[in-house]
Amino acid sequence: MAHAIPARRSRFLLVGLVLAHLAAISHQVDGGGGLSLLQRGVLEAFAPLQRAMGWVVAGASELWRGWAFHRETYEENRRLEARVRQLETDLQGRTARAEEADRLRELLSLRHAVPMETVAALVVGRDGVPWFRSLTIDKGEADGVMLDAPVMSPTGVVGRVFAIGPHAARVQVLLDRDGGAGVLVERTRVPGVVSGQVASGTSGAEDLVLKYVPEHSDVAVGDVVVTSGLDRIYPKGLVVGRVRFVGKGSGLVRDIRVEPSARFDRLEEVLVVRLARLPLDTPRSVE
Amino acid sequence: MSRAVWTGLAIAGAVLVETALGYLVPAPGRYLDPFLLVAIYCSLVGGEMHGMLAGGAAGWVQDTLFGGRVLGLSALSKLLVGFAAGLAGGRFMIASAAARALVILLATTADALLVQWLASVFSLEVTVLPPLAFASRATLNALVGGLLFAVVDRRRERALP
Repeated sequence: MAHAIPARRSRFLLVGLVLAHLAAISHQVDGGGGLSLLQRGVLEAFAPLQRAMGWVVAGASELWRGWAFHRETYEENRRLEARVRQLETDLQGRTARAEEADRLRELLSLRHAVPMETVAALVVGRDGVPWFRSLTIDKGEADGVMLDAPVMSPTGVVGRVFAIGPHAARVQVLLDRDGGAGVLVERTRVPGVVSGQVASGTSGAEDLVLKYVPEHSDVAVGDVVVTSGLDRIYPKGLVVGRVRFVGKGSGLVRDIRVEPSARFDRLEEVLVVRLARLPLDTPRSVE
Repeated sequence: MSRAVWTGLAIAGAVLVETALGYLVPAPGRYLDPFLLVAIYCSLVGGEMHGMLAGGAAGWVQDTLFGGRVLGLSALSKLLVGFAAGLAGGRFMIASAAARALVILLATTADALLVQWLASVFSLEVTVLPPLAFASRATLNALVGGLLFAVVDRRRERALP
């Protein structure tokens, strides 16, 4: 019978029996720590696997909890984001209203300061070509606006009306090369004429040029330039800007640049003087 | 819809774009000329007659709403530019985006030179653009126009049966 068992099978049987024996023996031998050697071996063999399984399960459950938490957080985050957006919108609305109130307050104070009948207008369009500087306002003939009427902002002179429709008008801004205003240097009363910039884009700044100021006139950087009223368009004494640069001009006149005080690119409301031409005696009151 | 209605709508769109630019980015907004883009597109698609009429109409609207004291400078320059672009469109293959961008670049330069020349002829004081601003304006229009034309063409192709 023993001969019938093939050699290969016998080796397997041998190994199996040896292992069974080892297991039986180790089960009986104290491995320390209250565990048999078999138990200890099994423990040692399976512990890393169990640990790994534990990590996997813990990780998965953590992931699950995280996902659930993330979902909640995500939902909450979305709610909070929506709330923040709403609050930001509210804030923007309130800020815009506050700014508008400030601007209107300034405009109102200017209206009181200018002893002429004026009409407040909204700027509805700005120049779209680089060759000219103009604005479109929402008041026209029907509102009492007339051709050549001066236009002002709380910070300074803006320009004059050069085209007019029933409910809108176009304003030539002081920066336009074809525009101009009679002015005085407030400190020294030196007269001159300001007109649009020499060229845009060279220095980034768009200055006015103060023309016809004699070489030895007392004009310094920082001097305030105001309207003289001599052009019979702009009322006397309105701020035009500040002298930014005084240089030696060609010939007998100085090269003077004035930084306009009106913020042309940010204008939203302006005041238009209803009287098209100032009375002739107005400029004569200039001392 | 007829060609005239489309052109009118395109000019109205240019008014809206120009107004929005005036509010949002006043200084750089002056360098983009949507009216010129309308004129050039009409020239390239409809030939010199359409380009000329569209350019003239767009220029008048631009002069009236965004121009200076004297009306007609932009109208005349765009009329000429529209005609020239239409003529070029009929003689050369100007179908690729790059070719169209080049046409816009040249047309913008021609438009600016024409306006400044007309202003000097009529003794009008206009802001003289320095070379860098000149080049920036042409490049900006070419880029925006090239993109815009491609988008419009694609939409038109899709709309075809």
